[in-house]
Amino acid sequence: MTAGVSASLAEAAAAPVLPPANPASRRSLSNKAVSNLLLALFGAAFLLPMVWLVLASLDSNATWSVEIPHLTGANFAAALSGSDLQSIVNSIVLSGVSTAIATVCGALAAYALSRRRIPWKGPLLLIVLFLTGVPLAILIIPIFELFSDLGWLSILPCALFLAVTTLPFEIYLIKNFIDAVPQDLEEAARMERAGTMQILLKVIGPLAMPGIAAAAIFGFVTAWGSFLIPLVLITSPNQQPGSIAIFGFIGAAHVQYGNIAAFSLVYAVPIFLLYALSSRLFRGGFVLSGAVRG
Amino acid sequence: MSSQADTVALAGQAGLPARPTGKRADRQRFQWSSLALLGPSLILLAVLFVIPVIYAFYLGFTNLELVGPNAVNWHFTGTQNLQRLGSDPTFFLSLRLTLIFIVGSIIGVVVIGLALAVLLQNSVTWLRILVGGIVVVAWMMPAITAGMTWYASTTAAGTFGTLLGMPNSDFLHHEPMLIVTLANVWSQTGFAMLVLGAALRNIPHEVLEAADMEDASRWQRFRLITLPMLRPTIVTTVLLITLISLANFALIYVMTQGGPGNSTNILPLYSYQQAFEFNNLAYGAIIGNVMVLVCAIFGVIYVRASRVRT
Repeated sequence: MTAGVSASLAEAAAAPVLPPANPASRRSLSNKAVSNLLLALFGAAFLLPMVWLVLASLDSNATWSVEIPHLTGANFAAALSGSDLQSIVNSIVLSGVSTAIATVCGALAAYALSRRRIPWKGPLLLIVLFLTGVPLAILIIPIFELFSDLGWLSILPCALFLAVTTLPFEIYLIKNFIDAVPQDLEEAARMERAGTMQILLKVIGPLAMPGIAAAAIFGFVTAWGSFLIPLVLITSPNQQPGSIAIFGFIGAAHVQYGNIAAFSLVYAVPIFLLYALSSRLFRGGFVLSGAVRG
Repeated sequence: MSSQADTVALAGQAGLPARPTGKRADRQRFQWSSLALLGPSLILLAVLFVIPVIYAFYLGFTNLELVGPNAVNWHFTGTQNLQRLGSDPTFFLSLRLTLIFIVGSIIGVVVIGLALAVLLQNSVTWLRILVGGIVVVAWMMPAITAGMTWYASTTAAGTFGTLLGMPNSDFLHHEPMLIVTLANVWSQTGFAMLVLGAALRNIPHEVLEAADMEDASRWQRFRLITLPMLRPTIVTTVLLITLISLANFALIYVMTQGGPGNSTNILPLYSYQQAFEFNNLAYGAIIGNVMVLVCAIFGVIYVRASRVRT
């Protein structure tokens, strides 16, 4: 749920901060020094746990303690080969399929909920909103029962279920964007006898693209970070995603500290890239104001 | 097929003479193609979300097990699981730990997030970008990576012990609840910082300047103007932090798996443990029901809090 909100906020964080309301006072100089110092302390505290991750990932004989690393790239090489690479590929398949299902279904539903007259639309939206808040841990037991009866305890059904868990929020997110697309554009297309599919692909799709992309990024990030759901719903070790692999490393008989650190970093990189991408999407802003006059 | 239906409806919309059906032509009518658009989502949500939630509620009152005879021939057992909950000390411990975890996380996240948001406004640019970046990176990390990082830092010989001059003390073992809560605060604060920072920037300058004219102190300005104006944002943030913390299975599972003993065994972990490690699917389900109840209670509190005078 946070990712979607964040997308629009990432830009806000990057925006320049206005000068303080009271610039002239003498006190403000020492105040500034104090807030800079406090901020630096907070920054150091937040940085502290990450130090080990970075140092150990580069260290050829890493342990749990922070040491000057004996520099090596072997840990990263190991994280990108063999079964480690396989688990990352699994993560990509799992998150990719889940995102595709949720975003396509979500965009179609969002369009209908935004534009069409639908009986009981109010209650329907309320149920969707309610679903975004249901703790997923309770779903896992009935879904496990269902999937194990069907013989579905593998990667693709798991992706389908992950898609369903992100679907309510994606519908909401995309609907908000379609609501903002001026109706006049769509009506103009209808005058030209465009069908529903054409309108969706050629008018609504491109104009609501930032919203659809944000929803897709939210879906991907959520699926990528998921742990409990693949832990229960995927039985074959060859199909396990990266999150489960990291957990397996800690329990291993011979703990490879450097590998754990390198793999954890590699596993986090796609998320960082996607967040950066989403903040870009929003920096461009909505350029619809020019499309309709008046 | 549907395009024809569309055209008829369109004719009405576009102001062309529609067939006189007796209905108003200027109001949109239900189109069957809407069903095709909504269909996939509705079916998926019904079959894999709504019905399972209801089914999970029912399973809590049965004797379903993961393996053995009760895996196949299970049946409704009334309040048997409820009675078991009532006499299960681990459950009450788990409930208490859950509340500690949620309340501790909320206080930590909101206080530190707000402090950071305010400090960021009053600091030099390079420091703002650097520290803001660090906190946001901590927030973006997948829960499993965050848990990994904190495990390494707080275990024996980890960064924290070394820094505090006690390299051999295992903080994660001695103060597990404190450490997992800190780890959760660490990984959620970035979100609060961004949201509250955006809200801070939206407070009109005139209001703060007026307060300066009246010789209000910094603290007065913060307490009497900034805080009340941030109130709706804080309530929303708290609600989201609650939901995320209650769902943050991976973070604690990777760090302690609920241990040592049961000292970090919050409800989602206990539910998982009962269902998939002790094979009591039904008992796990009823713990899940309690979790939904906890969520609902927090939800009601927040709705009330946001309705009180603003």
